[in-house]
Amino acid sequence: MTDLLEVNGVTKRFGGLTAVKNASFTLKKGEFTGILGPNGAGKTTLFNILTGFMQPTTGTIHFNGELVRELAPYKVVNRGMARTFQLTRPFVGMNLLENVLVACMSPRASEDKDKEARASYLLAQVGLGGRDKEPVETLPYGDLRRLEIARALATRPDLLLLDEPFAGLGSSEIEQLAQLIRRLHREENLTILLIEHKLREFMALVSRVIAMNFGEIIAVGPPEEIVKNEKVIEAYIGKTEEAHASA
Amino acid sequence: MKRIAPIDIAGGILVVAFLALLPMFAASNYLTGVLTVCVIYGIWASSWDFMSGLTGRENFGHSLFIGAGAYTAGFLSSIWSANPWISLPLGVVIAIAFSLLVGFPTLRLRGPYFALAMLSASAILQRLCLIFWEYTGGEEGIYGLDPLMKNPLHYYWFVLAILAVTVIALTLLAQSHWGLLLRAIRGDEATCQAAGINVTFYKIVSLMISAGFAGLGGALYAHYQLQVSPPLFSVVVSITVIIMVYVGGIGSIYGAAVAAILLTLLTEMLRGFGEYRLWIYTLTLMLILFFLPNGLIAPLWRRLTERLR
Repeated sequence: MTDLLEVNGVTKRFGGLTAVKNASFTLKKGEFTGILGPNGAGKTTLFNILTGFMQPTTGTIHFNGELVRELAPYKVVNRGMARTFQLTRPFVGMNLLENVLVACMSPRASEDKDKEARASYLLAQVGLGGRDKEPVETLPYGDLRRLEIARALATRPDLLLLDEPFAGLGSSEIEQLAQLIRRLHREENLTILLIEHKLREFMALVSRVIAMNFGEIIAVGPPEEIVKNEKVIEAYIGKTEEAHASA
Repeated sequence: MKRIAPIDIAGGILVVAFLALLPMFAASNYLTGVLTVCVIYGIWASSWDFMSGLTGRENFGHSLFIGAGAYTAGFLSSIWSANPWISLPLGVVIAIAFSLLVGFPTLRLRGPYFALAMLSASAILQRLCLIFWEYTGGEEGIYGLDPLMKNPLHYYWFVLAILAVTVIALTLLAQSHWGLLLRAIRGDEATCQAAGINVTFYKIVSLMISAGFAGLGGALYAHYQLQVSPPLFSVVVSITVIIMVYVGGIGSIYGAAVAAILLTLLTEMLRGFGEYRLWIYTLTLMLILFFLPNGLIAPLWRRLTERLR
């Protein structure tokens, strides 16, 4: 297994606030990794940096051995790193098929000659089959997340970054979406990096966790270890007097 | 991608046939002349709608491209005595050159930069025409262009044919995958980026296409008036074109063309009202835009033909 993504010493400062502090980690091909951390830990900022939507203050990012720092977001996508947004951003006024079709027009998808067929296939893949002509305006949240994933898949990514895909969903929707993501990882051989702060769903999905707090990576390891990690527990539950006393 | 509905094709043919036959009923060079100007406004309005209507990036200086095409014709035909037919392709080329000049630095940015840059560029060109009056004729402009055709009726038909080709070409483009991307850019640039689309590239090329047709319209106008003058670059022309598109129904292209023809006709017909003309015209526009924010022509046509689709 080779390193698909190599993040080295990435720091992002907004004025006096350091949103991401000296983050370094690697992702291997085919891995399913999650970034865990409470709200404001710097997860989404890190995502935005990886995908070119923000530039890091310092640090380097190598994807497939190539330096991707300072590439425009669409160029990052065309090198094989696609993302979804936490707040879904569909193209309003277009139907489901057209929403995916836009991404089928990216240079990376140039080998898919029949764009309509490809977009329709992808909709079926994410469980929105047969609803090509439906407008996006009336789509429930869970389906919008699926649409986001279909659009990301249209660019034929090697690495898929999912930004809190379960946020705002009910438990049955979460279970179905988790199944979809698991299937994509297995069948499409996708490398996936997922942000989440819902511990239960998260731990059941990923095989490796990068835990963040206040912009720093505080622990890396398999989920079983992470849930026992003192720093992680501290970040989530907080330090108590008793914990101090017993320690 | 999307097919154009048969009813739209039928409607288009009817309108063009009606416009072509209109001067035959009331044979007067005056009417033919008015209709020629109407149709040229149609070319300007539909070309504006293609870029700005689809991508949502308002261009407040379409007159830059119109004037560039017209002055190209002026210089070529009157000063360098070139064959008048050369004006048309070269008017297109020069207008496209100007679109690159303004589009490259400003279309990469989000926000109002593009609209403001277009507005100032057209104003600057208008001033330059006055400053370099030795070459451009200053206020007077350039006179004595050769007509493309001797018979005004033939020229009207020719311009009408060009409008038809313009609307068909732009509509086909707007309904292709290309047009889909332009509409996506209007929706959300960040999502387009996340979909791997080079947003700036598509905006610039669509502006080039828009400018090319506007420049063609400018050259046609110059060879109808047989003179060009600085007001062609004025913001009044740009705003007039924008209003026409809004009345037509933004993003529809054919609506812009029809609205341009009707509104130009309206201004002519109101000449009898003398100084009240502007009042009536402006009031009509305000009522239309107030009660029909989506425009008049395209929504009306879609309503009328709903059952036939």
